[in-house]
Amino acid sequence: MKPKLNFEWLHACSGCEISMLNWGEQLLDLFDQVEIVHFPLLMDHKYGGQLGEGAPLSLPEADIGLVSGGVAHQEHLQVLQEMRKQCRTLIALGTCATHGGIPAMRNQWSTADTLHTVFTAGTVDKEISPSSAPAFLDRVYSIDEKVRVDVSLPGCPPQPQLIGAVIKALVNKDAFQLPQKSVCETCPTIREGKKKMAPVQRFLHNADYDRDQPVSEMQCLLEQGLVCMGPVTAGGCGGKDTPLCLQARVPCRGCYGPVQPGGNQLLDMMNALASNGIDHRALVDRKSLLRFSGAHGLLKPARKKN
Amino acid sequence: MSDNTMSGAVMVVGGGISGMQAALDLADLGFLVYLVEKTGAIGGAMPQYNKVFPTNDCSMCIIAPKLVECGRHPNITIMTLSQVVDISGQAGDFTIRVRKYPRYVDTSKCIACGQCSAQCPKSVDDSFNSNIAKRKAIYIKYPQAVPLKYQIDPEACLRINQPGACGVCAEICPPGAINFDDQEHDHELRVGAVVMALGFQTFDPSKAKVWGHGIYPNVITSLQFERYLSPNGPTDGILTRPSDGEPVKKIAFLQCIGSRDKNRCNNEYCSSVCCMYAIKEAVMAKEVNPELEVSIFHMDMRTSGKEFDRYYERARSEYGVKFIRSRIHGVEPKGTKGDLRLHYISPQGKQIEEIVDLVVLSVGLETPDSMVKLAETIGIHMTPDRFASISAFMPVHTSRKGIFTCGAFNGPRDIPQSVIGGSAAAASVSSLLASARNTMTKTTPPSIELDVRLQEPRIGVFVCHCGTNIAGVIDVEELTAYAKTLPQVVHVARNLFTCAQDTQDLIVQQIRDNGLNRIVVAACTPRTHEPLFRKTLKSAGINEYLFEMANIRNQNAWVHNQEPETATRKAKDLVKMAVVKVATQTALKPLRIPITPSALIIGGGVAGMTAALNLAKQEFHIHLVEKTSQLGGNALHLFQTWNGEHVPRFLKELSEEVLNNPNIEVFYNSTVVEVAGHVGNFNTTIKTGTNRKQTIEHGATIITTGAKRYIPEEFEYGKIPKVVASIEFDKLHMHNETRVANGKSFVFIQCVGSRNKERPYCSKSCCTHSIQSAIKLKKEVPSRQIYILYREIRTYGQRERIYNQARELGIIFINYELHGPPKISREDTGVLVEVWDHVLHRPLEIKADMVILAAATLASPEAVELANMFKLPLNADGFFQEAHAKLRPMDFNVDGIFVAGLAHYPKPLEESISQALAAAAKAGRLLARKEIALEPNTALVDPERCDGCGLCIDVCPYLTIHLVTYQDDDGSVKKSVTINQALCKGCGICQGTCPKRGITISGFTYNQIEAQIDAALCTELTPEASL
Amino acid sequence: MNREQKIIAFCCNWCSYAAADLAGISRLQYPASIRIIRVMCSGMVHPEMVMHALAQGAAGVMIIGCHLGECHYIKGNEMALARAEVITDTLEDLGYASEQFQLTWVSSAEPERLVEAFRNMCGRLAVLQSEQSADHIM
Repeated sequence: MKPKLNFEWLHACSGCEISMLNWGEQLLDLFDQVEIVHFPLLMDHKYGGQLGEGAPLSLPEADIGLVSGGVAHQEHLQVLQEMRKQCRTLIALGTCATHGGIPAMRNQWSTADTLHTVFTAGTVDKEISPSSAPAFLDRVYSIDEKVRVDVSLPGCPPQPQLIGAVIKALVNKDAFQLPQKSVCETCPTIREGKKKMAPVQRFLHNADYDRDQPVSEMQCLLEQGLVCMGPVTAGGCGGKDTPLCLQARVPCRGCYGPVQPGGNQLLDMMNALASNGIDHRALVDRKSLLRFSGAHGLLKPARKKN
Repeated sequence: MSDNTMSGAVMVVGGGISGMQAALDLADLGFLVYLVEKTGAIGGAMPQYNKVFPTNDCSMCIIAPKLVECGRHPNITIMTLSQVVDISGQAGDFTIRVRKYPRYVDTSKCIACGQCSAQCPKSVDDSFNSNIAKRKAIYIKYPQAVPLKYQIDPEACLRINQPGACGVCAEICPPGAINFDDQEHDHELRVGAVVMALGFQTFDPSKAKVWGHGIYPNVITSLQFERYLSPNGPTDGILTRPSDGEPVKKIAFLQCIGSRDKNRCNNEYCSSVCCMYAIKEAVMAKEVNPELEVSIFHMDMRTSGKEFDRYYERARSEYGVKFIRSRIHGVEPKGTKGDLRLHYISPQGKQIEEIVDLVVLSVGLETPDSMVKLAETIGIHMTPDRFASISAFMPVHTSRKGIFTCGAFNGPRDIPQSVIGGSAAAASVSSLLASARNTMTKTTPPSIELDVRLQEPRIGVFVCHCGTNIAGVIDVEELTAYAKTLPQVVHVARNLFTCAQDTQDLIVQQIRDNGLNRIVVAACTPRTHEPLFRKTLKSAGINEYLFEMANIRNQNAWVHNQEPETATRKAKDLVKMAVVKVATQTALKPLRIPITPSALIIGGGVAGMTAALNLAKQEFHIHLVEKTSQLGGNALHLFQTWNGEHVPRFLKELSEEVLNNPNIEVFYNSTVVEVAGHVGNFNTTIKTGTNRKQTIEHGATIITTGAKRYIPEEFEYGKIPKVVASIEFDKLHMHNETRVANGKSFVFIQCVGSRNKERPYCSKSCCTHSIQSAIKLKKEVPSRQIYILYREIRTYGQRERIYNQARELGIIFINYELHGPPKISREDTGVLVEVWDHVLHRPLEIKADMVILAAATLASPEAVELANMFKLPLNADGFFQEAHAKLRPMDFNVDGIFVAGLAHYPKPLEESISQALAAAAKAGRLLARKEIALEPNTALVDPERCDGCGLCIDVCPYLTIHLVTYQDDDGSVKKSVTINQALCKGCGICQGTCPKRGITISGFTYNQIEAQIDAALCTELTPEASL
Repeated sequence: MNREQKIIAFCCNWCSYAAADLAGISRLQYPASIRIIRVMCSGMVHPEMVMHALAQGAAGVMIIGCHLGECHYIKGNEMALARAEVITDTLEDLGYASEQFQLTWVSSAEPERLVEAFRNMCGRLAVLQSEQSADHIM
């Protein structure tokens, strides 16, 4: 019997799923080996209260479940819990699922403030949202904050080959190893130390490089004064090759989340800069360094000052 | 003498702190040491004390590691119950007959279980407890004794006095160690040199009836008081009246009992230590009971040592100890309840009667008759005060070549002076026997270490009571029970003193029995005791770094002593923190690097030259850096030592010897400008007179940068030409300049710039100096009127003799106080000195032809820069701060750097020379090792995590981190960093920078610290609970 | 909150840890909520350790190093100072009160200063806590 696969998406953009589809023809081989029993993006499958009959949410049983997106409201939570219940192995797919991702940026404000800003500010509407809409949680959670997760596969989106490799390994019950190191591991730029690092520059500033030379002839972008999040960010976006942003000669934005489980990209980056004698206060909107990893309680509304 | 006749063995006679220090230094300098002790255990007087001044450290706690070290050292043979009978031969080749008295207990069998003592029916006065408690006829001297073996007192034992009687100990002794037929044996030992550290006894006040000691039970000696206060004493540290056990409300300390006294005894000298120990005992008693009234009756408070005056001042102002300047000549009973009556005359001249509960006699130190006799037998000269006769220039040399001396046998002195003496004697022996170094020593085979890498942690926790220091506050039973519940803890034990030798053996046994592979000791601070316990782990065959301490004394019991429950809870956290930390500790091996066998000595004064010459004779190369164009330093201004020895001649000979020694290279007009490297391999750059920079490689550093003199701003100095400082006066006096030659009236003013608010310390040598000048003036022209205006006369030790001589010659001593200094004004051709006379109780006007100011000794201002370069601390007065005031008086916490002379604190020449020799011993001990094992707590790169991002490279203060590229298994090029282990100091700045835990300090890894945090907070939070 | 309020104090081996030992020798008393973690240098403490302690429920965190210019490792305390700015800046970002963190300099000979710092920290946190519980009631 073929192993069964469940897919779900929560507070997500479908980028992770699209990335998976980008695996190309190899995906077809994979689909031969498995039976997909639930995949809202690709398959019509009614569940929960969606037909209006008020039945309890129910998902089919599966060997492997993949969840993208974070947890922002009650329905996300319900779906997630049902996924956990039905799936023997649960994969958090993409940075929203693993670290909150972009939606978790709203964790720097309270839910009430967010709803107000989004729905009522500048309009005549008094109601924030219809009362039938699911209740919002106090903040956006990564899925491992709510249920046990067996495999965390970060990335915005995760590299297609990596998703495929993980599913394949699980299906074949092979051992697999996710990248443990930071983006710098596969970054071939020239590094000499940060002593001569230029003052921190805005992101719109271009890197200094010779377009006829390979990336390995370019000076480390951080050493050029660009806030490259490489050192504090989990690697893997380029597979064994040069990290994707670096291939494009722009600094890493940190989309794979912290290199350390439980790490804090903002703090780690600021600390690394301060330790090297760089004025960390020159950084504009430092909270944006948590743009991909605001869950786990890292981004919080500022404390009210009395 | 040809080399092959020199013996590489040394005998140290006396197992007190001074003898122990000499033995330890000698053993590490490459000599085999016989440590001969007349009692059943080494330790001398220190184990009897409760606390030591001025640090208030628990005496037992600081001496215990030394006891253990002596007991363990492969090159120290301890001979207890032994006495030297005679010494024949000559320096380098002595034959010594040692008589070993019977112990009646086979030390190879005794397991110190104590059953014999428990069953022994005979009790006698316990001299260790100053006879305020009893001990059995079979006993150990004190619980932490080394060696920890029982002994039978043949005078008390029933069986030995009557064959056939008793014998119960022999019947019950489990290993059958009792041997009533034990006999005395004479041993003949061949040694190259002898160190006499014969020690002292305290004066017995019961011989003179006036103080009522031995008559009134509430009159006790200071040593008895010490035993009452001591938590391991017979009363567990609780002080009550000996007569009726009632609480003590009022105590009087009487100073100078058996000191500074020619009438009731023949001890003319000052015992040097009693003022400080009386203050200490008073403060300790007040700490336990602040309501207590404590008065100290004294003649002068002689608190001339480092930090002593501050201690004195704190006792007065913070603790409210009363100091009354009056010598009490008798103690009488008041009523029949045990109260005591004292009579004295107040500073205002009134007769006062005082009733107290307890009188403590501050008894002085003296040389026991038996030791005087031994000195006679051996043929070493003694002073009239019955101490070893020594020259200030050779302060540890007896009159017989090859026989050295140290400790209180050289004159009454405190612990640091005794420690310095011990090291100084070792240095002197080492230079004499340099050619025989390492000819008799054993080398220890490398210990076989259990590989625990693949074992699950099996943690043993040892909870120390520290007497009552910990157990008096923390519920140690509850703590022990808690420790047993912690993960991976398989064995928990409690000990009265975990640092004692017997406990070390016990720990080793328990490690083996329980298969422990990681140890936690919950006791005092790792800063003092970690090395000891690491050695214990080593001897148990496990890596010494698989160890952690929980500081439940200094950082818990002592600082929360009013909150036993909270402190117990905290102790649990601290133990848990240590347990989780040690669980992931890995075995480490020290990095061994060769040592550059030379020393850099900074400062070419007497201390610097003495150290240089000693080390040069020990066959090490010396770089002596002097900032001026001349050797000699401050001693160039001195004319004589306190006992009249001629300084300029000595200085000339010393400089010549230094300049002629091929092992010494002198750099004049030179200063240190840059310091790099570390213990064993320093690279110091000096700037020489020609402004050239030169880098010197050396293994050890000795700082002897001296001090400078205070230029008075008071007493019209510099305004009236007849007011001069003592150093200037000496020169005028020597040349018999007209001001001196024609002078009929001279006034010396003491403590000019010393002992005031700005400089609350004593310059130590000025009292003696002024009195010597005064005596010379008086002897030249007996009609001269000479006045010494003083705050306290501090002619400590045998210097008291010249104070007495001065008074006998008619020199007038007038006391003044800090708040009422003398007033100086110009009058006609002379100087008018006005001062309040405390004896006559009226102002006094003296017309002086010359006023001599005893100006303070100040720290050298250059010390600041040097301290910064070498990373050394200075005290509040700007003098170099040694590692420990008591037991490490010339060391720093930075390895390989030592201090001696005035750079450490003002002191007379002989003490500078002693300290210089002691520093040379320490430096020699290091250089003789040839290689050094560096602390392995350095940064380690985790190849699983480091990806060579390079964030850590420029944060390293020692530039030890470098980026490297390598090829991984797939052949792709990867980056990482490497650390130069020899340069890494383990500061962890890299660890604090790395965002991926790619670099970590062994012993302080990120994971360990995080585990400690979690344990401290006892985290049991679930994700839900953290919402 | 019934949990015991605790303060994590990272103490440098060369100065504040020694001062803490000395405080014991002098029997100076201070609040028992202090949990000292011995580090070799204040520059060893990664800001994440501070955050971790707060996240795990520490009421406050202190880093206590040698006076500037007296670092045993030349510049570890300067590093700690630079990081302290990062920590205080981000504390508020991350929803903590900046009062919950304190960087202090104490030499090995200043046990009184250390005890004073401990007491001040405890006092400050008590004020903070009463403010927060007042907020909670409102």
